[in-house]
Amino acid sequence: MTGLAVPRSDRRTFLKGLGLLGAATLVPGCATSSKSPGSGSAPSGQLALQSNLSSEQAKAAMEKLVAAYNKTGGSQVKLNTVASEIFRTQLPTYLTSANPPDVYTWYAGSVADSYAKKDLLLDVSSVWDSMGNYSKAMQTLSTSSAGQKIFVPTSYYWWGMFYRKSNFAKWGVTPPKTWAEFVAVCKTIQSKGIPPIGIGLGDTPWVASAWFDYLNIRINGAPFHRQLLAGQGNFTDPKVKAVFTKWREVLPYFDPKGKSFPFQEATSALLAGKTGMFLIGTFFADSAPKDALDDIDFFQFPIIDPAVPVAEEAPTDGYFASKKVQDVDGVKKFLTWLATAEAQEIYVQNSSGTVIPANPDGKSADTPLVQKGKAMIEGAAEITQFFNRDSSDALQPTADAALTKFLDKPDQIDKILKDWQAAAEKVFKA
Amino acid sequence: MFWPALQGFWLALTSWDGLSAPRFVGFGNFSDMVSDPIFRTALKNTAIWLVLFGGLSVIGGFGMALLLQRERRGVGIYRAALFTPVVFSLVVTALIWRVFYQPDGLVDTVFRTVGLGNFIRPWLADPDTALYAVIVPALWRQIGYVMVLYLAGLKAVDPALYEAAKVDGASAWQRTRYVTIPQLKGVNSVVLSVIVIDSLRSFDIVWSMTKGGPYHSSELLSTYMYSTAFQSTQLGYASALAVVIFVLALAVILGYLIRAFREES
Repeated sequence: MTGLAVPRSDRRTFLKGLGLLGAATLVPGCATSSKSPGSGSAPSGQLALQSNLSSEQAKAAMEKLVAAYNKTGGSQVKLNTVASEIFRTQLPTYLTSANPPDVYTWYAGSVADSYAKKDLLLDVSSVWDSMGNYSKAMQTLSTSSAGQKIFVPTSYYWWGMFYRKSNFAKWGVTPPKTWAEFVAVCKTIQSKGIPPIGIGLGDTPWVASAWFDYLNIRINGAPFHRQLLAGQGNFTDPKVKAVFTKWREVLPYFDPKGKSFPFQEATSALLAGKTGMFLIGTFFADSAPKDALDDIDFFQFPIIDPAVPVAEEAPTDGYFASKKVQDVDGVKKFLTWLATAEAQEIYVQNSSGTVIPANPDGKSADTPLVQKGKAMIEGAAEITQFFNRDSSDALQPTADAALTKFLDKPDQIDKILKDWQAAAEKVFKA
Repeated sequence: MFWPALQGFWLALTSWDGLSAPRFVGFGNFSDMVSDPIFRTALKNTAIWLVLFGGLSVIGGFGMALLLQRERRGVGIYRAALFTPVVFSLVVTALIWRVFYQPDGLVDTVFRTVGLGNFIRPWLADPDTALYAVIVPALWRQIGYVMVLYLAGLKAVDPALYEAAKVDGASAWQRTRYVTIPQLKGVNSVVLSVIVIDSLRSFDIVWSMTKGGPYHSSELLSTYMYSTAFQSTQLGYASALAVVIFVLALAVILGYLIRAFREES
């Protein structure tokens, strides 16, 4: 309908606008001919980018990124930022609509492949021709089960056990490497009257999945973990129960207040010295004051079985495009640019700086923390994404229910696992 | 107006993930419900909600209306104060109360001050208290609303009836029981419809306070429907849940209306 308002628009949009008006007058009372924002009929030369990076810093960084691309003389990209929760529930609607936005921010792995399976994504194999320097893991993550490249990764971050250096010094503990050392550290911190392990499950119950993921990849290994999450295993498996038996050993060290508040407040609790350590992704830094970050360090999730190849969680973010894009060349050109080290550095420099460019030539923020995180991921034998990314957003609520219940009632573990399996089967069947 | 509703009924008979074409499964969704423990919890919680939220808001609203019906100095302030929560959106209400319920928040402080420190729990995170902790703010809002409905009803009662009753020597309680309550019959049916509909669609306050958690312990049919539809993307099953909610609301209200009509004729 902008065809009527903007004098410079071409004849096609003008006619389309007239058509819409005509349709609207033909169907009185049906005033819903408006389309979702950003899904305009995209006259060639304009691309719609739907972004879920809605936190203040990330949004500003995206605006800078898009502005930089628009100066390169390719298609003009229009950024449309949507709150991440709304984006998540609306994504299927965007992709199945008749005239969808062109490019989307999203996550690599199984959560992207699920849309490729429905044949909704653009094959971007030709974009990958310029991405030969990307790691093998990144390639695998971006390939659909049908063998096509459907995703362009641009950054990743890591999870770790974060703590305040000054507090660890005060309590006289050093970062543990093994499970036994970890339990010892918990005991020492608890003896100082501080809950050793912080967590934030109110509103953000998915944080508990990090514990499940890590214990499972440390005890049973990444391949078992992935199969389980893909529906090829069974949550009532004794190997899964072993995860919870191990977890139970440290349950007394969890902050009891963590059930009531979200991870942002758990972050504040850690920074204020009200908890000792916190297993979290680097995105927590978005809600932390800059000066406190200098005192923050992390250690790798403790090794439990040295025989299991070490895997780390490194969720990878990036972009995919709708199969229905009109300007295929323009979209591919934009994606190719996003894959360059230069573009990824623009994003890193303007955001909170705790993400690492997916392009190996891209420079990450030059802080010891980020360098350490990067080294840990590069040294890992296997990479996992995170519970929902390795399975689906539909499976996540079943994990939330099972894990928060376990934290509350660890003695009911057999029943919890049985219920979890039943709930998961329903999701896999749907 | 009816087309989306009809489509909902049809979807209730399908299995649909929102992406592929819906697959017809007959009454499969409904038979799944019978063996679904979360559905049973949600149904039970909805019944508790209907009784507690509905019952207490009628009693509270009616009581407040009786107290505040006579024009006295300053009565407007009290009425306005009770009605204020209605003005807030439920999400704002939820935010305010979440701060109250925080560890070491207002609720905890009050409990400690009156010497009940031992009863303190993570109110919204404890499966035994979560549902009730959400009902309180919902009531806080609904009582003001019901009060206004009853105040309007009380205004419509002919004062001559009270005078006649007084002359006949009726006590204050008798006047309320035999004059006020029968006169409010019309308002009662409105209040009942409002309460039943509001209870069954109570969603925003629960969703913004607990999301039906911890582990489904404060799940209502409405929140369960939402999470099945938009988190687990089982839209067919969610539509079937919506049909159940619709049938329940219709049954309660029709039941009341039929009884009311029968009494009249």
